[in-house]
Amino acid sequence: MEWLIFGFLSSWAILSVFGVLFLKNPVHAILSFVSLILAVAGMFLHLGAELLAGLQLVIYAVAIVVFYVLVITTVPWEKVKRFEGFYKKELIFGFPVLLLAFVLFAYAVLKGNFARVGMAVENNPKAVGKAIFTTYLFPLEVASVILLTAMLGAILLGRKEE
Amino acid sequence: MSIEKAYILISIFLFLSGLLGVIIRKNLIMLLLSTELMLNGVNLALASVDRLVGGIEGQVFALFILAVAASEVAVGLGLVIALFRLKGYEGSSEITHLRD
Repeated sequence: MEWLIFGFLSSWAILSVFGVLFLKNPVHAILSFVSLILAVAGMFLHLGAELLAGLQLVIYAVAIVVFYVLVITTVPWEKVKRFEGFYKKELIFGFPVLLLAFVLFAYAVLKGNFARVGMAVENNPKAVGKAIFTTYLFPLEVASVILLTAMLGAILLGRKEE
Repeated sequence: MSIEKAYILISIFLFLSGLLGVIIRKNLIMLLLSTELMLNGVNLALASVDRLVGGIEGQVFALFILAVAASEVAVGLGLVIALFRLKGYEGSSEITHLRD
């Protein structure tokens, strides 16, 4: 049963990845990116990371994708038409290198052993929330400052020049 | 092979295809979308290693990666918009000022 869910989610994700990489139209590529995000959220649920799955849906599928679609609507369509698709020569030269890298990584993962420091955590979202607000409180505050700075930077970059 | 290792393989695939997208895509917005692919792969690897090892630190780290992804998208798309408005550039092959 577990492998059935894995096969379904992974084949869904791989199909969506090929859509993101090779579809010509940017809007179609973003739609297949949404499909990839749903597949990855399903993988998080399967791995027992429920909080991460919910945040993946909220942050990626809502905030980030809406951002991309907004930016695509601001760019004139005939300019986008000139630069759709992908470079063929770079694909031919880049694909074997990345395939070799994948084989090396896969070998390392399959042959290597992982240390086991603990056992599976019961009630995962509660444990993660507790860790965020006690052990990792200062990094959380730093992350909020980073988000504020990014917001200011985006406003400064995006405003009209006088 | 356990199911977590299979998920780690999928995450490596996601990361490397994001890298391939950064290399081959012509449109600047699609370049940024490919970096999102890479970040998704890293998050998946962290979650699966978390279950393999038995802990929650990887998920906490993945939350910070989500925050960084959100800010990266805000600043990156702002840069793309500014570049388009100032120069009219939309393709990755047009930005050659540092080379020339």
